[in-house]
Amino acid sequence: MSDDLAPLGALEEQILVAVLRSRDDAYGMEVRREIERVTGRELAIGAVYATLDRLEAKGLLNSGRAFGHGPSRRRFALSARGARALADTRAMRERLWQGVDLRRLLSLARA
Amino acid sequence: MRSGFPRFPRTLLRALLPRAERDEVLAELEIEYAQRAASHGTRAAGRWAWRQAVHSAPALMRWSWWRGWSGFEPRANAYRPGGNLLKHWLTDARYATRRLRARPGYTILAVLTLALGIGGTAAVFGIARPLILDPLPYANADRVAFFWRPGWWNEEEYTYLRDKFPGYQRVAFYRPADVTMRDGDAPTRLLVGISSSWDLFDVLGARPMLGRTFRSGEDVPGAEPVVVVSYGLWRELGGTPAVIGQRITLDGTPRTVVGVMPRGFWFPDPAVRIWQAQPINPTGRNGSYALVGLMNPGLTVDRMGPHVAALVKTISERFKYGENGDKTKDAWVKPLRTELLGKMTPAVVATFTAMALILLIACVNVAALMLGQVEGRSTELSVRAALGATLGRITQQLLIEAVVVGLLAGIVGAGLAFVGFRILAQSLPIGVWAESARFDWTMFAAALAIALAASLVVASVPLFSLWRHGNLRGALSGGRTGGIQGRGGRLERGLVVAEVALAMLIASGAALLVRSVTNLYSIDPGVRTTGVAVVDVLSSRSLDGNLRVRKITEAVDALKTMPGVRSVAASMRLPLLGGGNSWSTVTEGRPASDAVFTYFRMVSVDYFETMGMRLIQGRLFDQTDINAAADSTSREMTVVINEELVKKLFPGQNPIGQRLVGSFRYPQRIIGVVNTVAEGALTDKPEATTYYLDRRAWFGSGGSFVIRTTRPEDAASVLDNARRTIQRVAPEFAVQGVTTMDRVFDKAVGPARQIMSLLTLLSGLALVLGAIGIYGVISHFAARRRRDWAIRVALGLPGSRVITHIVRQGLVLALMGIAVGAIAAAALTRLLSTFLYGVSSVDPIAFAGASGALIAIGVLAAFVPARRAGTVDPARVLREQ
Repeated sequence: MSDDLAPLGALEEQILVAVLRSRDDAYGMEVRREIERVTGRELAIGAVYATLDRLEAKGLLNSGRAFGHGPSRRRFALSARGARALADTRAMRERLWQGVDLRRLLSLARA
Repeated sequence: MRSGFPRFPRTLLRALLPRAERDEVLAELEIEYAQRAASHGTRAAGRWAWRQAVHSAPALMRWSWWRGWSGFEPRANAYRPGGNLLKHWLTDARYATRRLRARPGYTILAVLTLALGIGGTAAVFGIARPLILDPLPYANADRVAFFWRPGWWNEEEYTYLRDKFPGYQRVAFYRPADVTMRDGDAPTRLLVGISSSWDLFDVLGARPMLGRTFRSGEDVPGAEPVVVVSYGLWRELGGTPAVIGQRITLDGTPRTVVGVMPRGFWFPDPAVRIWQAQPINPTGRNGSYALVGLMNPGLTVDRMGPHVAALVKTISERFKYGENGDKTKDAWVKPLRTELLGKMTPAVVATFTAMALILLIACVNVAALMLGQVEGRSTELSVRAALGATLGRITQQLLIEAVVVGLLAGIVGAGLAFVGFRILAQSLPIGVWAESARFDWTMFAAALAIALAASLVVASVPLFSLWRHGNLRGALSGGRTGGIQGRGGRLERGLVVAEVALAMLIASGAALLVRSVTNLYSIDPGVRTTGVAVVDVLSSRSLDGNLRVRKITEAVDALKTMPGVRSVAASMRLPLLGGGNSWSTVTEGRPASDAVFTYFRMVSVDYFETMGMRLIQGRLFDQTDINAAADSTSREMTVVINEELVKKLFPGQNPIGQRLVGSFRYPQRIIGVVNTVAEGALTDKPEATTYYLDRRAWFGSGGSFVIRTTRPEDAASVLDNARRTIQRVAPEFAVQGVTTMDRVFDKAVGPARQIMSLLTLLSGLALVLGAIGIYGVISHFAARRRRDWAIRVALGLPGSRVITHIVRQGLVLALMGIAVGAIAAAALTRLLSTFLYGVSSVDPIAFAGASGALIAIGVLAAFVPARRAGTVDPARVLREQ
């Protein structure tokens, strides 16, 4: 159930989405680059790693390593619980935006 | 790989990232750095690398903390667990906390034991710091030395010698001079003060906070009277710069304040609040001054010998001295610190030593407890070793457990230090120093520092036992039996022996002091001290002789009318206060070379009766003497002398009716002889004393009223009434203090008593800790061998034999400790020798007493676990295992 989850923080949400976007290649550096690419803002790798770890401890992410050739990286994937948390956050956001007059918002921003 | 990634960011990230991931993350960062260097240039890439490291650091540190505390380890890192050092420590601290919580008995015992030692040591540190460690508040402290016989020099000597001191740049002289201060309508107050030559502050190298110190020429008769006040008194006077130049009324005379000393300045003790320039009378022979000199640059006290000899020669050429007070004898100079702090240093050092020993005992105790714990955990440690834990890792874990115990004990100990500090400050003979000893953060810091040091000492013992085998398996492959007789018990046994030895050291020190104090109390001071109230007063110097005598009489008469009072008298100086006021006296018609040293005391008519002195021969003062004293045409005075003077001047003769000469203008006829009283210090040899009636002369400005109450237990309760009565009848007398003769006697017995109570307290503590140690080790030993005992009992050994055997083990440990401790005590109790009276520092009775107490404690502590082992049901024990 999702009601036992605390709402996600902004960075947590960004990271979960980035993991989702990176599909099979979601390791720490790639997640960082993905967020930087989208937001255009620089992000410290330490913050990303700490958040990834915390999300895994909360059970929102799983991590594992592929053994075989090439460097073995710790790769992340959304858990079912993480997927629910992200979906909940998005649903909440959409509810929040419903009925907002976007034209008025844009005109305010332009003024 | 050499990528050009800046070194510091790389090192920082490496230190903070988890072990499993740091290589892969660093590799990625280096690749990205290389790309950035290619596209944006090396400098931009370098800046980026720095930003990455600096911005990552806080997040990674928070993360280490959280991982260490939560113990979270991701599945992906299962084969390479672990983070940075901080994380390891936290994990271990958390584990230690869990373990300690699971064993509350062990934890409480260990923490409390250590806290007692830490708290006590920190409290003693707080007191000892200003005495021993803080620098004296004088710039010239290292070059200032006191002359021999402080308090014996007079103005004539100083005036003559002033410019003739070899080896000194400058020599100042001073005497205690308490003054009364009248401030508007407020009652007269007493200020503890010093009267000195003008150059005292220059000798010390002390600068004023405001205004100036004395100037040359301000210490000659007729000079404008000036004073320098302490910071505290300045605050009371208003605390503004306007105080400089203000005139205050001291002893009835207005004097100008010229300077204020800075906060923290004191000389010669912290109670002094005012320094006045002393008008020096070049022919004054009143000897109560101390000389303090600034040595020439490059000279030290050790190298003053030739200069002192030269000075003695100058003195002996000009002045002639009698047998007592010969200033050409025993000449030496004393460093400033020794003179000012010397008296209490042995007391503080003795207490400090005792406290350090207690701390050591506490450490040994906790170490023994921990050693037992490590042995008890051998299975757990073996499993951990089998899973790959290294000796280093287990060492770290034990250390951290000790540090956690140490920190807890440090916090509890700081609380104990706060309480103990007050007790110590009151019970140590440091007097006014208690005011300068403050409880502050440094004591808390000291408690924590001591705690950390102690925990390292504690941890070293079990670690030693682990490391001794070189590898974990050897250390942990213990048998089921073992214990004190078996392998590994030796260390534990050694610890208990050490502990008992330390306890023996403290206990024998305390026993020596108990004996010494008992000896002191059995000295007869010659007066009946019980049931006598004392009011010390200081009269304003403006009060002229006759008026003063009238006021004294009025005050005595008023005090007599108080309820519950039997008799009242006044005296210039009470017995047991250490002498003072002496001269030489001789029988009329004999040459001056026959003169003997004698104390002189001005007393009022009922003095002997009030003090409980015995008349041996002749009569005491009565109304006829008062009348004679009031008669200005009389050419003779009457005097009462003591037995000691009879022995010296009239051996085998009747002294009554004979006349003494010396010092007074008129000869003094002896009317009576009283028993000898300890007019000087309690342990002084008996000294000759003459007693005069106060009509003709009351020397100095200080004195005491003594009041004997009808019921002895009322002495203290009449004091308030007495103080009010004197203030009402004779407001010219400032009441300086109130006390009882019993208290005066206690003070005369001196620091030995306070140190005794303190050391007795500490040795009580040491005995308790020793008992805990023996109990802990013996019960551990008994528990480990439960199976052995059970088998033997099952085979027919009576339970009482088991008890005897185990108790004997405890007794042997105690005896060994006592033997070692006695040898150490024989060497160390010398520290106490200045406080010992009538007892050698290796007194057999004191040592026997201490040993007896320790044997009793040892047997008792061993008996409890022995009884548990002896009354066990063998069938149950054997089924258990």
